[in-house]
Amino acid sequence: MNELLLQGLVNGIVVGLIYALIGVSLNVIFGVLRVVNFAHGEFIVLGAYAAYFAQAWLGLSPLLAMPLVFVIFGAMGYGLHFMLVQRLSRSNDPEHASLLVMFGLSLVLGALMLLAFEADARSLNFTLDPPFLMFGNIILPTTKLLGLVVAILVTGALAFFLYRTMPGKALRAIIMNRDAIQIVGVDLNRLSALTFGLGLGLAGITGILVSMIFPSFSPFIGQDYTLIGFIVIVLGGLGHPIGAVAGGILFGLAEQTAMVFFSGTVAMLLGFVLLIAVILLRPAGLFGVQNSR
Amino acid sequence: MTDEVKEVRDDEVVPAPASQGNIEKSNHIRSLIWGAVVAVIIAVFLPAPLFASNLSFLFYMMLWLTMAMSFNFVAGMAGYMPFGYVAFYGVGAYAMSVLYKTFGMPIPIALAGSAAAGILVGLLVAPTLRLKGVYFGIVSLALAMAMKLVISLMPRDITGGSLGLILSSANDPLAAYYAMFLVMMGALAAGTWLSMSRLGTALRAIRDDSEAAEVVGVNVVATRLKAWIMATMFPALVGGVEAWYTNAIDLDSSFNLLVTAKSIVYAMAGGLGFLVGPIVGASALYGIDQLIWRNFPTLNLLILGVVIIALMLLLPRGIVGAFAQRFSRFRRFIP
Repeated sequence: MNELLLQGLVNGIVVGLIYALIGVSLNVIFGVLRVVNFAHGEFIVLGAYAAYFAQAWLGLSPLLAMPLVFVIFGAMGYGLHFMLVQRLSRSNDPEHASLLVMFGLSLVLGALMLLAFEADARSLNFTLDPPFLMFGNIILPTTKLLGLVVAILVTGALAFFLYRTMPGKALRAIIMNRDAIQIVGVDLNRLSALTFGLGLGLAGITGILVSMIFPSFSPFIGQDYTLIGFIVIVLGGLGHPIGAVAGGILFGLAEQTAMVFFSGTVAMLLGFVLLIAVILLRPAGLFGVQNSR
Repeated sequence: MTDEVKEVRDDEVVPAPASQGNIEKSNHIRSLIWGAVVAVIIAVFLPAPLFASNLSFLFYMMLWLTMAMSFNFVAGMAGYMPFGYVAFYGVGAYAMSVLYKTFGMPIPIALAGSAAAGILVGLLVAPTLRLKGVYFGIVSLALAMAMKLVISLMPRDITGGSLGLILSSANDPLAAYYAMFLVMMGALAAGTWLSMSRLGTALRAIRDDSEAAEVVGVNVVATRLKAWIMATMFPALVGGVEAWYTNAIDLDSSFNLLVTAKSIVYAMAGGLGFLVGPIVGASALYGIDQLIWRNFPTLNLLILGVVIIALMLLLPRGIVGAFAQRFSRFRRFIP
């Protein structure tokens, strides 16, 4: 029993870090652009497919495909910003308008993936030399361990970018006060486009991690990841990058430990119960500032 | 106090200072136009089964009209965007089917059960009404998914598990058609009452500035709750009647996110906040949607997505909203 719980906790941290990455990229986009990216899950699935085809056609291992996918997805985000996102700021209610436009985009992407890749679930053929390590009685697949390391590295790099570099600081400054930042001479438009690119690039990398760690992916599961991302960012506080890490790990731990003792459905439901509890106690999320929204 | 609240609304409708007589006149014309719209709807749908060969087309048109109209109660008049709107539809469908099939109740009672279930779920999630903006929308979406999971965890002999329930003995499309007609008339009546009564005035005041509304004596919590209950009851009834019409329900179709999406798109395409908005939007887009379905079944979702994006970018205020903006002289005549 105790070992099962420990196993659940270890899985929870690995899965939780993936969820945290989903939440962080969603939150960076929301914080800077005030755009609720409903299509995030579809971009993640697209990233998983990118890893699959990079391996099948180019023979690239998922790890090597990561920088490539980051650059391609980043460029895609940069372009999409000028096509879709920028026009939204003219709307009456930009936040709801963004949610709807991105919902439309998620339908479009889901349908395109269904047409291009067919409906069957695929999985990445990726194993490492010792397939798993044993710590006492806890089994840890090496792919999961690798995923954990990558997720920590990416989160760390992002934290370094946001807190130690000039563009990252400007980005956080936009989250804090959109108007003041323009007075001190930051090109809001360019930085917004870069942010959307960064968000989608991160979504692509998350997709590769998803393809390494979860058993399979299909064009239909995008909305599940979007929903998980939403839960994570509401748990941690909307627009709060570090809050999303805490929210993701919390949600991952709750889900994976519940999975050990009950079923997948109960685990998912527990996540929702957690969300409702947090919302009722702290409406702005664990790390959010009350009444900021 | 009544006069103070009323003024908030009249200021909004008539921007320029207008005399009392002018306001009364434009109110009168507005009521006349709305009456004409309702009369046309009745004239089309009431006798239609006598002539039409395609009952299903008209049935679903009424369904979407009702869904879009009641979505407008919270989105247009109260300023909330419940992305988990489908939850009430699904709960209604399940309440009706479980009461009829598992507990052997007659259909009218089962449908009353749908409405009760919708209101009950609405009251349960009412605490989320204090959340603002997209926060509310996201949480509402999560709650809808949670609702689906709760039903899937219920015992199989009550809800039918993943296979759903089949109500073949209830098959009576014509009766279900008129039941949907009654539900639609109910939604029209509720919309009329909402926009003409003090409650509607109070709601708009809250939407535009909840603190100012509170200062002039509007009970913000109670007013929101009333609109919310109306907006949860109608989709539940619609879900119940649809279950009766098709005689089959299952979790995936009853809790399909597209139900929310289409309600939103139809309401927004017409113009949120106008009584006629959802009616115009649903009538215009439902026909297009059917054409797409028939001719390009595989591309249906793709085209729906493109339509949503184009609509939001090019016509963010909807057809009626764009008209009101372009011809602002007529703004006060639009119901």
